[in-house]
Amino acid sequence: MKPQSPSSMPSYTLNCRMAHEAAALERLCQVVRIRGFRIARMSMESVDGELDIALTLEGARPIGMLQSQLEKLHTVAEVVLDGGVLQSRSA
Amino acid sequence: MNGAQHILEAFHRHSINTVFGYPGGCIMPLYDALVDDVGVEHVLCRHEQACALAADGYARASGKLGVCIATSGPGATNLITGVANAHRDSIPMLVITGQVPAGLIGTDAFQETDVLGMSLGIVKHSYLIDNADEIPAILEEAIELAQSGRPGPVWIDIPKDILLTDVKADTPPSPGHQTPGAVDISEAMDMLRSARKPLLYSGGGVSLAHAEDAFREFARTSGLPAVATLKGLGNAGKHNPTDMGMLGMHGSRAANRAVDECDLLLVIGARLDDRATGRLDGFAPNARMIHVDADAAEINKLRPADIALRGDLNSILAAFTAELADAPLDISNWQTQCRTWHTTSGFHAADNEEPLSPITGPAFIRQLSGIAPDDTVIACDVGQHQMWVAQYYRFDSPRHHLTSGGLGTMGFGLPAAIGAQFTDRSATVINVTGDGSFMMNAQELATIRRYNLPIKLIVLDNQCLGMVRQQQELFYDNRESQINLDDNPDFVAMARAFDIPALRIERTDQIRRGIETILAYNGPMLLHVAIAREENVWPIVKPGASNRDMIDEPRRTTAKKEQVA
Ligand SMILES: Cc1ncc(C[n+]2csc(CCOP(=O)(O)OP(=O)(O)O)c2C)c(N)n1
Ligand SMILES: [Mg+2]
Repeated sequence: MKPQSPSSMPSYTLNCRMAHEAAALERLCQVVRIRGFRIARMSMESVDGELDIALTLEGARPIGMLQSQLEKLHTVAEVVLDGGVLQSRSA
Repeated sequence: MNGAQHILEAFHRHSINTVFGYPGGCIMPLYDALVDDVGVEHVLCRHEQACALAADGYARASGKLGVCIATSGPGATNLITGVANAHRDSIPMLVITGQVPAGLIGTDAFQETDVLGMSLGIVKHSYLIDNADEIPAILEEAIELAQSGRPGPVWIDIPKDILLTDVKADTPPSPGHQTPGAVDISEAMDMLRSARKPLLYSGGGVSLAHAEDAFREFARTSGLPAVATLKGLGNAGKHNPTDMGMLGMHGSRAANRAVDECDLLLVIGARLDDRATGRLDGFAPNARMIHVDADAAEINKLRPADIALRGDLNSILAAFTAELADAPLDISNWQTQCRTWHTTSGFHAADNEEPLSPITGPAFIRQLSGIAPDDTVIACDVGQHQMWVAQYYRFDSPRHHLTSGGLGTMGFGLPAAIGAQFTDRSATVINVTGDGSFMMNAQELATIRRYNLPIKLIVLDNQCLGMVRQQQELFYDNRESQINLDDNPDFVAMARAFDIPALRIERTDQIRRGIETILAYNGPMLLHVAIAREENVWPIVKPGASNRDMIDEPRRTTAKKEQVA
């Protein structure tokens, strides 16, 4: 899927906690991409064998759909959506 | 015990007694351990894709875990299509591959590929083991994960040196199935009772949840008119009077009409795939929807549900049935209406009954359905022949119909039939294939011969990639492009080269004898069925169009009725 221009799309902040296994981040990013979102910002910290990941995402599809797909990943412990839809960024 | 022996130990613990695989350098420690193991039958296919598809067929037919094994590099990449096939149809599968020794990973070593990286989009989960002591726990977790919740393939990639390392860790207790909590069905029951034209819409989720009996009981008790997706065929049983068969792109006009007019859709274990729904905004426009599924991510994915029930299909269906047993639904007008539609525009008869006329796909499949025993397993390939099976074969159970639904993998049928036959050596297993699909895994004729599997192969040969030709004819102004297969090999001679007897038929009056001959034969046999090149699958919904706009067969031309000399 070709993403629309970023400025026109809603933006979301999502926090994810997952096991620090091989390919953990790739797996997360793969799901984000294939379900129609793109990563505008990402930060990550490894704490006691787990990864705390904060993502700012842009995408036209309902974010709840991405959340439920991420929650299905075996190594994901928790996905929290921050404060709902943020302001769209102006161009 | 080394890592390889621990894998076999896990197979024994979980009663895994049949695996499909192909050896090579990095998986050799496991093959070495197999030499001393009498409890696991290893089936050597002739291509790793077939190993994965056979494991898939084994799982579909039995409801058990399918297991496939391959070496690193090309062995693993050859598995990919089969694993993706299982992923798209949520088939429980364990995939085990050897990897180059841990110290060589990332050095572009001989037969190194990044299997973990490649697997990401096509598995439920995957592991690269980097410590032999993890093997017991990961195996337990993987076997459980592949079969629980919404099932799917789980892939374990193990470096060769780790397969050879002594494992010190003990096997942890199995994580055990998490049983989902009880679900409150009262609201759904109220909605069902208030509907005047409720329709049951079921899919592959019913058999994935092992809920075939509970579903059948519910369908019978409720008397709800029922439509099914490709993978839900057989859910309602062969003799259920309210079953209307398949909906969607190649579904019946009757089934699509019922969806169009219903006021409540009770969706059980189906994900509203575009081949079933057509254009979503024209799908069941008058209906409220109750969606019952094991996977939370399917609820509200494509169409919002008015009521969503997520959980174990068995217990939800049993609860529905219990509610209806004492107070049945009052929907007799709607039942009569649906039965009338089904009689007038369901799939019943192929109209070509002239004894000397060329064989048509529908006529052949209809006769096959009438002649084959009720518990016959049909493994299909992909194309027009697959749709004729879905339309004209009456299945008594979804486990009797093995078809590649989500991925639509040509070449699925023959290895899937092999897998199914290994679940029961005495079962009647038939691979219905097309001339294009057959050639995609024809090497597996050697596997059939080697294990002396009594599989019947039926090649519906229209000398072309019929499904593509049909769409070129209808939607690309009849501009045929790369679909011609009129230089196919002689399939009868080809089967015989594998020491499999074969015969060819081409006229309508030869159908019955042909089918009876192969079914009566005590071993594998191939029936080469020549059919007309121009035959199309009807009706059809143009991709992206609404099911309401389905196109019927135009009047037949006399050319098609010409007799075979
Ligand atoms: C591996 C693969 N490649 C390509 C396709 C696209 N495709 C779908 S149906 C079809 C034609 C199948 O031909 P055949 O097996 O002869 O069946 P027919 O439609 O003629 O009955 C093709 C090429 C596919 N589904 N799978
Ligand atoms: Mg063909």
